Amino acid sequence: MSTFESVAQAPFAPAASGVPRLLRRIITRPVAVGAIMVIVAIYMAGILAPLIAPHGFNETDLMHGNEGPSSAHLLGTDRLGHDLLSRSIWSAQTTVIISVATLINGGLIMGVSLGLLAGYRRGTTDFAIMRLGDIFHSVPTILLLLIINASLRDRVELWAEQISDFTGIGWIGESGMASYFLVFGTLSLFGWVGIARLVRSQVLALRESQYVISARASGASTGRILFRHLLPNVSNLLIVALTISLGGVAAAEVGLSFLGIGIQDRPTFGLMIAEAVGLQNVREHTHLILVPGAVIVALVLSFNLLGDQLTDILSPRRR
Amino acid sequence: MPSGLASYIIRRLAVIPLVLLVVSFVTFSLGRFAPSDYVELQAGPRAKPETIERIREDRGLNDPVYEQYVRYLGNFLTGDFGTSTKYRLPVEDVILPKLWITVQLNVVVVIISWLIALPIGTWAALRRGTWLDPLTIGLFLVPASIPVLVATPIIQWLLVVKLSLLPSGGWSDAEYFGIELGIFSKRAIMPVLIMAVPSIAGIARYMRTQVIDVLDQDFVRTAKAKGLAANVVVVRHVIRNAMLPIITLFGFELAALTAGSIFVETLLGIPGIGQFAFEAVNTRDYDVIMAVVMLGSVMFMTAMLIVDVAYGFIDPRVRLGEGLKE
Amino acid sequence: MESRRLVYVLTGIAVALILVLGGLTLIVVAGGGDDDDGGSSAQNGDDESPGPDLGERVQGELRLFGPDPLSIDPACASDAGSAEYIVEIFSGLVSFDRDLKVIPDIAEKWDVSPDGKVYTFHLRTNVTFHDNSRRVTADDFKFSMERALNPSTQSTVAEVYLDDIVGVDDFINGDAEEVTGIKVVNPDTLELTINEPSEVFIEKLTYPTAYVVDSREVGDSTCFEGNWTLTPNGTGPFKLADWELGTKIVLEPNENFYLDPKPSLARVTYILSGGSSFTMYENDEVDLTGVGINNIESVRETSNPLNAEYHQSPSLDVFYIGFNVNRPPFDDPDVRKALNMAVDKEFLANEFLMKLASPAKGILPPGMPGYNEDLDAPEFDKDAASELLDSTGKKDELDGLKILTSGQGAAPSDILQAVVAMWEENLGITIEIEQEDFGLFLRDLDEGNFDLFSLGWIADYPDPQNFLDIKFHSDSANNETGYSNAEVDDLLEQARAEKDEAKRLELYGQAEELIANDAPWVPLYHGTNSYLVKPYVEGYDVPAFVLPNLRYVTIKE
Repeated sequence: MSTFESVAQAPFAPAASGVPRLLRRIITRPVAVGAIMVIVAIYMAGILAPLIAPHGFNETDLMHGNEGPSSAHLLGTDRLGHDLLSRSIWSAQTTVIISVATLINGGLIMGVSLGLLAGYRRGTTDFAIMRLGDIFHSVPTILLLLIINASLRDRVELWAEQISDFTGIGWIGESGMASYFLVFGTLSLFGWVGIARLVRSQVLALRESQYVISARASGASTGRILFRHLLPNVSNLLIVALTISLGGVAAAEVGLSFLGIGIQDRPTFGLMIAEAVGLQNVREHTHLILVPGAVIVALVLSFNLLGDQLTDILSPRRR
Repeated sequence: MPSGLASYIIRRLAVIPLVLLVVSFVTFSLGRFAPSDYVELQAGPRAKPETIERIREDRGLNDPVYEQYVRYLGNFLTGDFGTSTKYRLPVEDVILPKLWITVQLNVVVVIISWLIALPIGTWAALRRGTWLDPLTIGLFLVPASIPVLVATPIIQWLLVVKLSLLPSGGWSDAEYFGIELGIFSKRAIMPVLIMAVPSIAGIARYMRTQVIDVLDQDFVRTAKAKGLAANVVVVRHVIRNAMLPIITLFGFELAALTAGSIFVETLLGIPGIGQFAFEAVNTRDYDVIMAVVMLGSVMFMTAMLIVDVAYGFIDPRVRLGEGLKE
Repeated sequence: MESRRLVYVLTGIAVALILVLGGLTLIVVAGGGDDDDGGSSAQNGDDESPGPDLGERVQGELRLFGPDPLSIDPACASDAGSAEYIVEIFSGLVSFDRDLKVIPDIAEKWDVSPDGKVYTFHLRTNVTFHDNSRRVTADDFKFSMERALNPSTQSTVAEVYLDDIVGVDDFINGDAEEVTGIKVVNPDTLELTINEPSEVFIEKLTYPTAYVVDSREVGDSTCFEGNWTLTPNGTGPFKLADWELGTKIVLEPNENFYLDPKPSLARVTYILSGGSSFTMYENDEVDLTGVGINNIESVRETSNPLNAEYHQSPSLDVFYIGFNVNRPPFDDPDVRKALNMAVDKEFLANEFLMKLASPAKGILPPGMPGYNEDLDAPEFDKDAASELLDSTGKKDELDGLKILTSGQGAAPSDILQAVVAMWEENLGITIEIEQEDFGLFLRDLDEGNFDLFSLGWIADYPDPQNFLDIKFHSDSANNETGYSNAEVDDLLEQARAEKDEAKRLELYGQAEELIANDAPWVPLYHGTNSYLVKPYVEGYDVPAFVLPNLRYVTIKE
């Protein structure tokens, strides 16, 4: 949450610096480029998992469990003989799916829309949205996530099966869909508040600006003003905030898996780490935690570096 | 003191029960929505279904949720916060000792990290533009980027197994000046270390950007240009302006007390409130869950109120209430 | 630069802090915790020292890593974790010794009527409660058992263990003021009448639900509220001296204990939370630890000094996958058999579980009376399994079926995944694993709403009845698979009242063989207790199931 606010503290960048200009300035910074390359590499590995993973994610080799790196298994195997390299690549796929789903659902749909609405409409709408945000903000998030998971997981799975039976679309009921939904749903539910506050504060400052006033005078609809006039002006800040939040999503998934609010049927970094955290396990099979740990640290670190660089670029005082 | 402070505080305090009402109702309903309750979970595979059903009926678990909620609320208002069905004790008797452990840990972590991070962050800001810059940024970023779940087992393995320096976990307390304290035990060192390092890094990193922002402002430049006498101005401005957002961060940390250390507590086997709350959710210890969630909300809102009031004291230009809205 | 001063000041503070904190840390580490904070009052340090740190042993103390118990109310115990404490603190008419034989406890001896329905217990006259205030009489037993059965106590298990007694149903339904089958003849004599003759009734009385509690103490507590269990006034070999919730439980010997050997440990400390018990053992913080899958290899190496402290003993349990025998395709015994034959249990127990378990051929675990090493049961043979499955023509129906298991989030158990992998490899079928909330899981089992499930079963008492009758009799509530075989039912019923031990076991042996070949289960493995014990601890054998054990243990300093 604090990451969003640190951005919000930064002064508002002039509307003139659009997204293309932002990109041009990023590529002059080697740290940012490096971070982007790491992120892209991990994301691409995930997207191309079916093509590049040497083994399937559930392919077991019971005779070769818990082995260190070898030519057959470059990063070693876990107890069931899963190839850790392949598991990591498939885990990256889960990370991509969860990140994108959370970004769209929590960041864009809930966060941006509610923020725009609250800032532009003000009055009761603003009050309602922001107090709702306060409530979400004030509860102990992890605990609520645990309760939601304990109470809803089996029901969501049942619903998914029923919907699948009803519509005849097999993949909805395929176990797994429900847990994806739970993970990005819960992350979104508690993640939108920061983005919404950020967008709202920017919109509040902008709504009295000349061009918005003139757009309103010329009879533009609320939707048009929000999305054509206001949104582009907050896009830079949004990009920074969302970039940083993606690192947070990746890290949060690890925590959720540990607490049992995770995806069960597909490998995830969280699951791999959660299975390896026992002290005796680390002691005897250190590679089990190092492999997924290294990837997740690289990913989060890259997002943080990139976020830092973007903040730097966008805050005029530090230029 | 800013005028109208009392009425402002009263207004803010008045909101707390309203939020609690919403939070408690949602949590309560969510809990009751679970596929099974504590009676079924404690019964185990040998119990007869009809026995379980009879007990659930007797305990009112079959009543409509709103009836159960009203009953709970009624008891709550008369000071009866319910019973921990696991330990068969009043909720407060169970929660307070566990909360005390977590509070000890977190208070020490907060104090250590702030005392170390503030000067380091400021120092790094003043060294901006030198060769130290990338180094400090890296030092601040890396620990803040390692998830606690990755760091804890590795640190545990290093300190406990490889170096045999510390016990593997747990908690033990002893009486100091009539108070049960566990923080002086060597068992507390590892959790404090694990929690403090990323915290120091995060705060220092934050402090650095804040100080840089302030240093670049015109009035500070002017003050600096005026020479020695302006030293005081610099210190005052830097500290005051940088403190505002930092205090917010501090508020968040305080507020995260109830569940914040759940991972460290679970991994290191520390019987604190975070671990207990986790367990309570798994065993459906309803009243404990309710109490912890509400306690967490109250603490958060109180912390935010204190932050807002502190804003007013540190910088009178800030109008009360803005801290909440922005 | 002017701002330098700020830096100096702040760095100064930081350095000072680091020094102070580092110093404190050092003191604490070096001093091992018996420094008090100030240090100035070192003179009378002994009086003010906070006492030994958790894990530091006092003379004659046994330190264990224990489970955090749910409830130590004997009437309510439904799990082994709680029973472990209850059997040391409380006691009943009879108990098990370490050879798994029923021995007299508070009852000095008992007679059984010729029709096998009336048990007359003659109580010892020298048994008192821990506080020494009062001796235990037959009335206390009647009170305790009726309290356990009373619906207002809300015990989920009392009925399960005591329902042989005449009048229990009427009492629970509120049709009777008392349980008519529990009769106080005089303060020293208790008479229990049961509905049908049963060879296991006496063994069921070893379960905590039949233990005696102090009527003055329990009041109207239920299994969910009432905190008397923090200071229980029991009759067992040990007294509860201290219980810090979730942190530790301390037991002290009961000097007035009435059986031999009397408890000799000065103190037993159970540590309930904290890191890894194996590392705590290595660091001398506990005297006993289980050895898990990660450490077993290194412990087994003869060069490892820990090897001499390693012990392994059987545990009376079985872990299995059950079929819904009323639902196709598992209504076909050949399909079940084929799935049985496709699981390499030797590999599972010996390689995958590294001999921390023993392969399960039949139902009964090794160590259980009636265990048959040479049971005629389906053997692992992947080719035969594949052929058998093909011959049924039902292979296609198996794909996508789910093994129901309890659990939330995270990955399902490794063992189940390994079994599924074996089926895939040996039979070419894809079975999935579905985790469910524990309560929901039990309900689904009860309603027969599943295809396959996985579960474990731990003995309540060492008798084949506890496994075979309860799990496979058509009318048993715990028969989840829905298995029904008239011949098996007949054998099980005959065995219930058979007084000749050898003949009884013979009947159970026949039943087990029939069951194994009907294959309603895939028995996977039987657990073992694998543990390390410090050399100065004598007489600690981890029992095959929960029984009073600590009074046999001594510490050789």
